[in-house]
Amino acid sequence: MSVLIAGLWLRQLVRAWLQKWSKETGWKGFDILRQTTRIPSVIWALTVAAWLAVLVSTIPSDWEGYASKGLWTLFALSLALSLLNMAGRLIELWGEHLKAPEQAAKATWHLARIVIVLITVLTLLEIWGAPITAILLAAGILTLLAMLVMRDVGPDLVAALQMSSSRHFGVGDYIKLKDTGEEGYVTQMNWRNTLVRASSGSVTIVPNRKLAQTTVINYGHPVKKAKEPFRFYSRSHMKELTGLKARNLRELADTLKVVPDSVIYYHTHHFLEEHHYLTPQPANDLSLWVDEALGDEVLAERLASVDTFQFASLQALRERHVSIIEEQLAQAVSLREAAPGDEFHFVKSISVIISAPYQASDIREFVEALRKLSPGSLYFHVFESRLRLGRGLNDFSAWLADSLGEDELAQKIARVDPYTHSLENLRLLLIQLVEKETGEANRL
Amino acid sequence: MKLIDYEPIVGRSTLEELRLVASKLAGREVQNINSTFVGGGVAEILNRMVPILQELGVDARWNVIKGSPAFFEVTKKFHNALHGRKESISEEDFDLFLEINRKNMAEMDFHGQIMFIHDPQPCALIEKKDLGGKWIWRCHIDVSNPDERVWRFLERYVVQYDATVFSAPAFSRPLPVRQFLISPSIDPLSDKNKDLSTREIDAAMAGMGIPRDKPIITQVSRFDYMKDPVGVIRAFEMVKKSIDSTLVLVGGGATDDPEGERVLAQVKEAANNNPDIHIISGQPRSDIEINALQRASTVILQKSLKEGFALTVSEALWKAKPVVASAVGGIPLQVRHKLTGLLSHGIDGAAYAIRQLLANPDYARWLGDNGKEHVRHNFLITRHVRDYLLLFIALDHSEDVIHL
Repeated sequence: MSVLIAGLWLRQLVRAWLQKWSKETGWKGFDILRQTTRIPSVIWALTVAAWLAVLVSTIPSDWEGYASKGLWTLFALSLALSLLNMAGRLIELWGEHLKAPEQAAKATWHLARIVIVLITVLTLLEIWGAPITAILLAAGILTLLAMLVMRDVGPDLVAALQMSSSRHFGVGDYIKLKDTGEEGYVTQMNWRNTLVRASSGSVTIVPNRKLAQTTVINYGHPVKKAKEPFRFYSRSHMKELTGLKARNLRELADTLKVVPDSVIYYHTHHFLEEHHYLTPQPANDLSLWVDEALGDEVLAERLASVDTFQFASLQALRERHVSIIEEQLAQAVSLREAAPGDEFHFVKSISVIISAPYQASDIREFVEALRKLSPGSLYFHVFESRLRLGRGLNDFSAWLADSLGEDELAQKIARVDPYTHSLENLRLLLIQLVEKETGEANRL
Repeated sequence: MKLIDYEPIVGRSTLEELRLVASKLAGREVQNINSTFVGGGVAEILNRMVPILQELGVDARWNVIKGSPAFFEVTKKFHNALHGRKESISEEDFDLFLEINRKNMAEMDFHGQIMFIHDPQPCALIEKKDLGGKWIWRCHIDVSNPDERVWRFLERYVVQYDATVFSAPAFSRPLPVRQFLISPSIDPLSDKNKDLSTREIDAAMAGMGIPRDKPIITQVSRFDYMKDPVGVIRAFEMVKKSIDSTLVLVGGGATDDPEGERVLAQVKEAANNNPDIHIISGQPRSDIEINALQRASTVILQKSLKEGFALTVSEALWKAKPVVASAVGGIPLQVRHKLTGLLSHGIDGAAYAIRQLLANPDYARWLGDNGKEHVRHNFLITRHVRDYLLLFIALDHSEDVIHL
C-alpha cells in the first residue's frame, strides 16, 4: 500500500512539473504528455505496487510467476497505448508547426506506430519467455527488406521534411529549377514529389530529392493575371513560285506593282528568317539582285536602306520600293539586263499558322514561353502579325497593354525595331525588357 | 535513327514545330513513287524521309515503278535532254515510255490520299488521277532550258497535276499549275555528314595517301567537263605561286563512261605529275572517307560550269568549311557571297577567293561557321520534312495565310 501511495504521489509531482513547464515554455507537447499519461500512470502505479505485493507474499512460486507476468503484461500494454496516443498527437503538433505536407506527417505516424507495436510485442514475448532470437532475426531481415524498398522513397521523404522545415517555397509559388530550366507554379507537394505546372499546361513531377539538390529560384506568389491569356502561335512558311521573272529594272518595277502582297512580303522578309543567325543580316532580295545581277550598287544601297519598320502596310512598302526603282529608271540612260539565268524570280510566301502549345496568363509565364518559343513563332508575333496581318503593332505589345495594363512596357517593346536584330538577339532583348520592367530580374 | 536523334543538331523547338505541323496531317496517306529504291539523290532522300514522316504520324509509303533496261535508257535520254543536252529520241522511245508507265498503272496499287510522284520516269501515272487524291509532281532536275520536244511531251502530263515542286526558282518553267519551291537537303546523321573523330579522319587520310603538311584544297565531283576539274587545276596553280598548298580532286565511280575517261585523261595531263596534286579516281570511295577528306580540307571548291542543286556544297558547309563555288544552279542559294562562302565566276576569281581564304584564316573560319548555320537552318532533312508537310497542307488551301 505504501508503494501505491508513493507511486500516486510521484505521479502528481510529475504532472505538476509538466503543467509548470507548459506554462513557462508555451510548448503544447507538455500538455500532451500530461493528458496522455493521466489514466495510464494510475495503472502503472497500481501494477508496480501489486507486483511488489506479489513478490513479498507467500503464494506458491508457480502462481507468483504467472501473477508477475500478468502484471508486467498489463504494464507494457498500458505503456504502449499511452505511447501510441502520445506519438500521434506529438506528430500532429509537429506537422502543424512545420506546415509539413499531410502525407509526410502520415508517413511518420505510420512509422512510429509500427515501431511501438513491434517493441511492445517483443517485450510481451520476452515477459512470457518465448524464444525471440528467431523473431528478432526475422524482424531484422524484414527491416532490411523494408529499407531496400524504401531506399528511393527515403531520400524523397527526408527532402520533403527539409523543404517543409526550411519553407523556402510552397504551393502557389512560382519556381524555376536552375539546372534544367524548368519553371512554373507549384501545385502540390507530397512526401515523394513536387508538382510544377508550366505555362504550356504540362505538369512536371519533380522528385523531392532532386529539388533539394538543385538551385531553386522562387519568384513568389502569383502576379497579376491577364484578362485574356496570350496564346502563342507557331508559324511555318513555304515558298510558292509565281512563274514571273524580271530581267531589268523596268520589268522589276512593273511586276512589283501587280504581284500579290505575299510576294512583296516574301522578298522584303524571307532573308530575316533564312539568315536569322547572322549579324548583320543580308539586305532584302530586291537590293541583292540589283547589286549582283545588274551591278547597280547605288540603287542597291537605296533599296537596302528602306526602313521596313516605318511602314504600316505592305502596300505602302511596295509603293516605296517601286518609287525608288522608278526614280532610278527616270535618270537611267540605258537599261541594264541581267545575264540569262540571273533573272529575278518572284516568289510568294505561304504561311501556315497553328496554335502552339504555350500560353501565358501572367508576366512570368510570358517570359518563360519567350525563352522556349521557336524562331518561327517569335517571328510571327513580332514581324508577321504587325505588317502582313495588318495589326500595326506586334502581338506582345498589344497583349501587355490590353490584357495586363502594362502600357509602359508595351510601348517600350513596340519601339524596338526588330529589323535591326537577329531573332535570337531580339528574343534576349524582349526578355530583358520584360524582366527589367517587372522587377523579375532583381529577384534572380 | 529516330527524330529525337536530330534534337541536339536542330534544337527542341524545331522538332516541336515539326510535330505540331504533322499533327494536322495525322494518318494522311502519302504514296511516294519514283523509279528506284537505291542509288541517286531521290532514293537517298526518300530512304530517310519516309521513316521520319511515319514517325510523325503521316502514313507515308514508297513504291517504285518497274521498267526494262530499254525504258531506263529512254528516261536517261529524257533526263539529259531536259538538262538541255542534245539527244536523239525517237517516236518509239516516247511510245516505250508510255507503255511502261501504263503497265505500271495496271499493276500498281494506288492508295494514297496524296500521290507524290518524283521525277520524269513515272510522270505519266497522272493518267490515274481519276482514282482521286491530290497529285504532286516533284521535279528534282533543272528544266529551265530543256529540249523542247521532250518537255512538250512531258508537259501534257505535268499540267494535270495539282501541284509541282522545284528545287530552285531558276529550275522551273511557266506552268498553269501551282509550283512550290522546296530545296533538297542533307542528312547530318548519315555517314557522309556525321561528326568524325580525329582518329577516324587521320586514318581515312592516311588510307588515301594524302599528306597533311600543307593547306588542302579539295573538290569532290565526278570527272565531268561541267565540273571544270581542269579549271580547278589552273586556279590551284595560280594560288600555289604565293601559298604552298595541296590540291585533292576526288571523282567518284569507275570510269566506264567514255566522257569521264576523256576528262580524267585531260585532268592528269593538266596536273603534269605535280606531286601536290592528288587525283583520286577508280574505285569509289566510301562516304566516311569523303566525309573525312572534307573535314581535313582547308578550303573546299565547287567550280562547276553548270550545276543541278549541288548538295556537295551543303555537305562542305555543314563541316564548317570555307567554300569557293561558282554562281550556277542551286549554289547561290547555299553560298551567299561573303556571308556563307565566296562565289566566283571564273578561274581568276576562284584563285583570288582561295588566296583570300588561305591568307585570312579568321575570315575563313567566320564564313565556315556562318555556312554551317545556314545549312542547319535551311538545308537539313528536318527542314525538308517540314516543307513537305506544309506542301501537303497547302494543297487543301488556296489562301496565302493559312490558319489551322
